[in-house]
Amino acid sequence: MKKTILALASVAALAGPVQAQTYPARPVTMVVPFAAGGPTDIVARIVAEHMSKTLGQQIVVENVAGAGGTTGITRAAQSKNDGYTIMMGHMGTHGAAPALYANLKYDPTKDFEPVGMAAGTPILIVAKKAFPANNLKEMIAYLKANPDKVNQAHAGIGAVSHMTCVLFNSQVGIKPTAVPYSGTGPALNDLVSGQVDYMCDQIVNLVTQIKAGSIRAYAIASAERSPALPDVPTTKEAGMPEYEVTAWNAIFAPKGTPKEIVTALSSALDKALDDAPTKARLLELGGVLPSAKERGGEWLGAFVVKEVARWTPVLQASK
Amino acid sequence: MEAFLGNLSLGFGVALTLNNIFLCFIGCMVGTLIGVLPGVGPIATIAMLLPITFGFDPTGALIMLAGIYYGAQYGGSTTAILVNIPGEATSVVTVLDGHQMAKQGRAGVALGMAAIGSFFAGTVATLLIAALGQPLTKLAQLFGPAEYFSLMIMGLVFAVVLARGSILKAICMILMGLLLATVGTDLETGQERLTLGIQDLSDGVDFAVLAMGIFGFAEIVRNLENPETRDVVRAAIGRLWPGKDDFRQSYFPILRGTIVGAVLGILPGNGAVLGPFASYTIEKKIAKDARRFGRGAIEGVAGPEAANNAGAQTAFIPLLTLGIPPNAVMALMVGAMTIHGIIPGPQVMTKNPELFWGMIASMWLGNLMLLVINLPLIGLWVKLLQVPYRLMFPAIMIFCCIGIYSINNSTSDVLFTAFFGLVGYSLLKLGFEPAPMLLGFVLGKLMEEKLRQALILSRGSFATFVERPVSGVLLGVAVIMLLIALVPSVRKGRDVVFTE
Amino acid sequence: MTDHLSVTEDKKPPGLVRSSQNLGAGLFLMAIALFAFWQAQELPRGTLNAMGAGMLPQSLAAFLFIGGLALALSGLLVKGEAMERWSLRGPIFIFGGIILFSLLIRTCGLVIAGPVAMIFGSMASDEFNWKEATVFALILTGICILLFKVLLRLPIPVIGAMLEPFFPF
Repeated sequence: MKKTILALASVAALAGPVQAQTYPARPVTMVVPFAAGGPTDIVARIVAEHMSKTLGQQIVVENVAGAGGTTGITRAAQSKNDGYTIMMGHMGTHGAAPALYANLKYDPTKDFEPVGMAAGTPILIVAKKAFPANNLKEMIAYLKANPDKVNQAHAGIGAVSHMTCVLFNSQVGIKPTAVPYSGTGPALNDLVSGQVDYMCDQIVNLVTQIKAGSIRAYAIASAERSPALPDVPTTKEAGMPEYEVTAWNAIFAPKGTPKEIVTALSSALDKALDDAPTKARLLELGGVLPSAKERGGEWLGAFVVKEVARWTPVLQASK
Repeated sequence: MEAFLGNLSLGFGVALTLNNIFLCFIGCMVGTLIGVLPGVGPIATIAMLLPITFGFDPTGALIMLAGIYYGAQYGGSTTAILVNIPGEATSVVTVLDGHQMAKQGRAGVALGMAAIGSFFAGTVATLLIAALGQPLTKLAQLFGPAEYFSLMIMGLVFAVVLARGSILKAICMILMGLLLATVGTDLETGQERLTLGIQDLSDGVDFAVLAMGIFGFAEIVRNLENPETRDVVRAAIGRLWPGKDDFRQSYFPILRGTIVGAVLGILPGNGAVLGPFASYTIEKKIAKDARRFGRGAIEGVAGPEAANNAGAQTAFIPLLTLGIPPNAVMALMVGAMTIHGIIPGPQVMTKNPELFWGMIASMWLGNLMLLVINLPLIGLWVKLLQVPYRLMFPAIMIFCCIGIYSINNSTSDVLFTAFFGLVGYSLLKLGFEPAPMLLGFVLGKLMEEKLRQALILSRGSFATFVERPVSGVLLGVAVIMLLIALVPSVRKGRDVVFTE
Repeated sequence: MTDHLSVTEDKKPPGLVRSSQNLGAGLFLMAIALFAFWQAQELPRGTLNAMGAGMLPQSLAAFLFIGGLALALSGLLVKGEAMERWSLRGPIFIFGGIILFSLLIRTCGLVIAGPVAMIFGSMASDEFNWKEATVFALILTGICILLFKVLLRLPIPVIGAMLEPFFPF
């Protein structure tokens, strides 16, 4: 490790005072557009910790919450593109935001230099304990048969639990009564006590309730079963392969950030994802890590274009 | 019983290791110091200090975080008493009589009683959690949206009772608080409301921003124009410790406050906010001379402080046993736990008994630490009041600015605080009291959310609020309380008119 | 500079007004209510059974207007307190200082924003003196940097974006 640093330092010295070679010369700010302690913040902090080691400079996480994450991303997108401000984008800020916020001040597909996918958490379809269905097929049948009776909870317009369930409902072909809550906590509370019937949300928020048997899980919307909940079938196994959703988190830099810097960040991120303890911490959260082909900025750039194209029509139709 | 004792001893075995005692102490200390800075409440403090705990083992980290939480909560009360700034919703009530006491040179007494009341409440609440944590969660399950709405209505009635002066003015302030609470994105439709097109308002007005402006900055401006009132604080500093009389007056308020706070704290959906308000209302109603309230009545500090701390403690019940965070601070604790690889919920108790019981034991330890840290500090705090006001107010100002900025790293929050300061100053000049407005604001958000949820679930039928037994009872209590509150004051109002 | 600038006439209120404070308070609330109502008027109100986004803001504004009206009328009918004097010095310097802080914190950083805001704010006091205020502001800014940046590691800008070229590290 020391040797590589020495080697890098000597290369940098030979190359002269070009900014990119000495990058980073001071701490890097990573804007997280959600409050401290939330799922995105946790992923950001775990990844940033290891990236700081590789880069030799601290990555300071700055939480700028507001408007479904778009406040923080707007600010980061407009900051200096010298590599000292980067951000943790998210399925909402870089996928759904164009459809949800009419006066969005950035374009997810154009205003960023994608650095790489960090980690995502798969979505689960859950229902109250007393829900009269034994598997996903029966659940969907019940939803279709009782469109006026069922209540679906979500944590506010633009929340992961809102948009993933909009997608689910549109694929199933129903329009249930949606009950908005101010957060996942209160929504989950009413699901446990049976005030509402079902919801979709990230696995992290639901694992304990499912294990304790206070709510039922019908399917997990990822390609493989989660080690945290090995008994819950994937949507593919349960007969709804088209519903595959992960609440992803990825690092972006402002448009025009020098290529060398983006590459340096990208490889630091990859190193973090390959580091065994970091990996283990992310997996413990029920997270999914990007596979070899899902690494790097180029793949992420193409992925964002696909995500925007996927969410825009669904969310606009739900308005 | 045996299991209960066994669990507690397991807990203390964990909590009383040298390492964990030290972490608990550091947590309480840092929490107190940060919490005392005006403008920085528990949420901001934990969010700021969260990264510091990353290096520890999970149990130690959580013990330290819990220490920070109590410390910040308690530190907030200190600021409320000393400089009239509530760091968070629950210390709004402490401001009312606590700061009056400080102005009368009884800051030490107020701080001491707050510390002792909190410790007692914390002890009771810890035992309650240890003994009844599991069954108590059933209570929380009784509460659906309709019940919460009725509870909030009851809370608003407290606000009317809180008022010192004109009831009409108090009601207007509540309405204004409710109106302010509607600013921001509509939960159900995502439409922006009353945001004037300002993006930073799309999540509504932050409590700290409003409280800091309305109480903190407005108070500074007012103090600057009346040199007499601000000098009283340093002129006469009476005894540092509560005396016999103070204790005698505070026993029962503390006891009642503890019970009320503990029960409301269990409710998810931030029932804990109501604790201090409820306690204050009770004390004011049963006092022989209600006029003393708002003018430095010690019961008005002891009761609500006990309720506050009891609620802070029992708020852990839904978190630890259900894994559902009841409020923003607890949501942050969930985040902290997940960072350390623990997903809170029913399994924690069985899978990680050392962690669960260790944390409960450390709750009590934290309360003891706070007493140990704070009693000697009282002398220091009171001395701080002797700093000339011309130096004190710029210091308060800069700490508030930095505190507000750090909450969300946002400069517009600082600007909003200045704006609300101006509004608060105007309100003071027009003879309004800010406390009912703040309560209206805090309850307003929850109230609208719960009202609309309840109506969506009942498919638009208002009967749901009366038909559901718990909700119906709560509404009934609210109506009765309102009548009790209104009748004497209406009569009194008439008396005033007649004597003139 | 005079200490208190009188904004409202402190003479005996004219015959009709029996409590200028309540009258002022009522008018103040009515103005706020009207403003809020105007801002919320385009939001869909919905019905009581299916509330829209505008239902609560509009009805609360309406209630507030009624409350303000009642208060204003009581100011005309019931004898009460007169309007207090309003000072300008306090609000201008205190709120001005806070505004300066918010403008300077990201651009110049705490090293500039702290002292500027504190010295400007200090002028609100009639006991203001340059030397003391400057020394105190500089010391306190140092303490704040030590406390918030060094000890707590908050991402608060000590040296802002505009000053960065002068401090390469």
